[in-house]
Amino acid sequence: MKLATMIQDVIPSLFRAPITERYPFERREAPERLRSLLAWDRESCTGCGMCATDCPSQAIELVVFDKKAKNIVFGLHVDRCTFCGQCTFSCKQGSLTLEHDHWELASLDRGQLMIHFGDAKDVQDVLAGITSRPSELPPAEGRGSAPAPAAPAAPAATEVPGG
Amino acid sequence: MDAASSLAAILFFPSGAFLLVASLAYEWVDRKLLAQFQNRLGPRWFQPLADVIKLLAKEEVVPQGVNRWLFVGLPIVGLAAPLTAALYIPLAGLAPVFSFPGDLIVTIYLLSLLTMAIGLAGSNALGRFSLVGATRTLTQLFSYEAPFLLALLGPALVAGSWQIGTITQVASQRWFILTQPLGFVVALIGLMGKLELPPFDAPEAETEVVAGALTEYSGRGLALFRLGKAVELVLGLTLVAAFYLGGVNGVAAFFLKTLILLLLVAGMQAVLARLRIDQTVGLWWRFGVLLVLVQWAITWLLRGAWR
Amino acid sequence: MEESPKTELFTVPIGPQHPALKEPSHFRITVDGEVVTDAFVRLGYAHRGIEKAAESRNWVRNLYLFERVCGICSHIHATAYCLGVERLAGVEAPPRAQAIRVLVAELERVHSHLLWLGVAAHEAGFDTLFMYSWRDREAIMDVLEGLTGNRVNYSANVLGGVKNDVDAAQRDAILRAIDGLEGRSRHYLDVVTTDALFLQRTRGIGVMTRNQAEVMGAVGPTARASGVTRDVRVDAPYAAYDRFPIMRIVETGGDLEARFVVRLRELFESYRLIRFLLDNLPEGEIRGRMPRRVPEGETISRVEAPRGELFYFLKSNGSDTPERVKVRTPTIYNLTSVVKLVVGHQLADVPMILAGIDPCFSCNDRSVQLDDTDGRTRVWTWEQLRRYSLEVEHGRSL
Repeated sequence: MKLATMIQDVIPSLFRAPITERYPFERREAPERLRSLLAWDRESCTGCGMCATDCPSQAIELVVFDKKAKNIVFGLHVDRCTFCGQCTFSCKQGSLTLEHDHWELASLDRGQLMIHFGDAKDVQDVLAGITSRPSELPPAEGRGSAPAPAAPAAPAATEVPGG
Repeated sequence: MDAASSLAAILFFPSGAFLLVASLAYEWVDRKLLAQFQNRLGPRWFQPLADVIKLLAKEEVVPQGVNRWLFVGLPIVGLAAPLTAALYIPLAGLAPVFSFPGDLIVTIYLLSLLTMAIGLAGSNALGRFSLVGATRTLTQLFSYEAPFLLALLGPALVAGSWQIGTITQVASQRWFILTQPLGFVVALIGLMGKLELPPFDAPEAETEVVAGALTEYSGRGLALFRLGKAVELVLGLTLVAAFYLGGVNGVAAFFLKTLILLLLVAGMQAVLARLRIDQTVGLWWRFGVLLVLVQWAITWLLRGAWR
Repeated sequence: MEESPKTELFTVPIGPQHPALKEPSHFRITVDGEVVTDAFVRLGYAHRGIEKAAESRNWVRNLYLFERVCGICSHIHATAYCLGVERLAGVEAPPRAQAIRVLVAELERVHSHLLWLGVAAHEAGFDTLFMYSWRDREAIMDVLEGLTGNRVNYSANVLGGVKNDVDAAQRDAILRAIDGLEGRSRHYLDVVTTDALFLQRTRGIGVMTRNQAEVMGAVGPTARASGVTRDVRVDAPYAAYDRFPIMRIVETGGDLEARFVVRLRELFESYRLIRFLLDNLPEGEIRGRMPRRVPEGETISRVEAPRGELFYFLKSNGSDTPERVKVRTPTIYNLTSVVKLVVGHQLADVPMILAGIDPCFSCNDRSVQLDDTDGRTRVWTWEQLRRYSLEVEHGRSL
């Protein structure tokens, strides 16, 4: 039975610097595999919508105007995303990856937490509530064509939060 | 001493404002040292001040069914008592503001008034945790006041006086820590028990009784009690330093000696686990008092040798 | 039913909001002075309706739902779920994937036990041990972050395999962390078994005999500290435990100290297994093909979570959404022991005994629980019911 068994930790600590990292003055490099913000590659996307179907928190809203011409808008609710990475595996084309250093996503503005990836004109339409356009070919009827939010009161949300 | 200088002493220096600032500073040093021992950063220098300001700004919620006068009045008594006791203690290295034969006993009673106020406040507050905490506080009061007092009486015995001023003068000629080491140990640990510092913090064991006797307090009442505890920390350290570490002559000696004691106290806080209330009581009624009595016996037998 | 004696009995409510609890639950402790005379537990504060929610999400989405049943043991929940679904679908995840699942599970066990050590130390008032053990735990958190991409809720699993492979860099990082931790764990084992003040709070407190443990159905390290030789990884090996076996760690003390020792010794077994795994990872794929619609059937999945036996029941009706998923977590088995053991101890021992079972209340609130927690069956025979009613009528006690 000893007394003060932690003394071998406690005394040396008196002469050492604390182990606390003084964030944000000391910011550690994020590991390579850290799962942070989603990134989408429009060129390889086929608009199948498996990502939206398999997302556990329904954070993905895909609006497909034209599959062949790649007029696809990928909407991401950053505040719903759990950064699980399932979408990157559900996507058979490899269009989705998770960035590794974009994790400082806190925001005071809800509007900043809804991101639309895509061609500027397409995104404009989606923000205005248009989810399909008349064209020569019948509109692509995909499993993943989720309707865009009815009247987005959010300001132009193509700004990615966290700078 | 005339009325004006007495008033100045009570309000500004060495009691009053100076003591309040010093107590906040000592509380910060204690928390910072504890953090350093635990390899972490700890609070910034203004944290205790910020705590007090925040608490004073909060609404005071008086529970239903309690005696309102006691609820509001006990924190005031709890702070006033140590601030008064400070008048008899050699703070900041100066001689005590007031001094008369037997003031050691008066000081110790004044210092124990805070603990009694906390105990009464807990019993008054009627909540489950308050009642359990109050019982524990008062139990601990009985177990720690005795050894602490007896340990302080060791030097008094040798000095042949019950006056703090006289005892400190005798103490500055010989370091009682060397001649009465057991008494020093008991005094230091008795002080920790008195202040309910870990490992003797069973009365306010957060994981058992939330906040013990002070559970129902928030706002001004809690601020005053916390200030009272911080003031007692300074006063207790000063007494032990003055009696055992060769008196406190001068500001530098005062700060140096009390801070060294604080280092010891913080170290013990870091390294020891909390005791249950029955273990705390058992420990000191058996060990503490025994050690002190042994010390007295040795001192008495050897007093001839010192004369 | 006893008649209450005429002394002053006093109930102390622990929870749902209490600094001793990390998650909400309610314990009504009746005390006489400082001695506990009765205890009553009420759960349900962290119930989130996960089992019902699972019935309206497809199999893939449910993986992430069940991963979040518990934050500390999230991977083992996901593993149990995956194993069950894969069994229903007739798919066997490749050996390398299974091995990586075991690797992450053991890393999780290490992190969970270190977390528990800190929390239990904090309950005892030993904050220094709390701070140091959590500081050392950061090494494992960093390793898991490097391997899987997140510190908590690793999401290492997918249906059919795992997401991330272990390459040389990962291997080195893990080995380095384990080497550092091994020395620290030895130090903590020493502290826990020799520190006089800490032992006063743990030795001889909360003693549970082997018989009591068996009767009350305790599982995991809590039961193994009382001499019950039960560990799902040994008794019914799953994932890669048949190729990479682990040793059961059993103590016979039955008190709180034994529970500390069991968990700390389990750390060493985990370190050994992790090293062995890293040297002998099977080659091959890390994912297999999984159908979207899982064939009809029922299956059970038993795994050893850091707290004890975790049990999943899965039922499929042939579609891409489960029919029923039922989860039985280890803490619900161990809570009975807490309620029984605290009687006769001091009030100050209650948080310690509770911490000793490593409670995880969010795991717990799986369904509506009955009030009665002493393990008696609630199905009474006609005779029992009749006798009870007569006694109540005549005011006699049982």
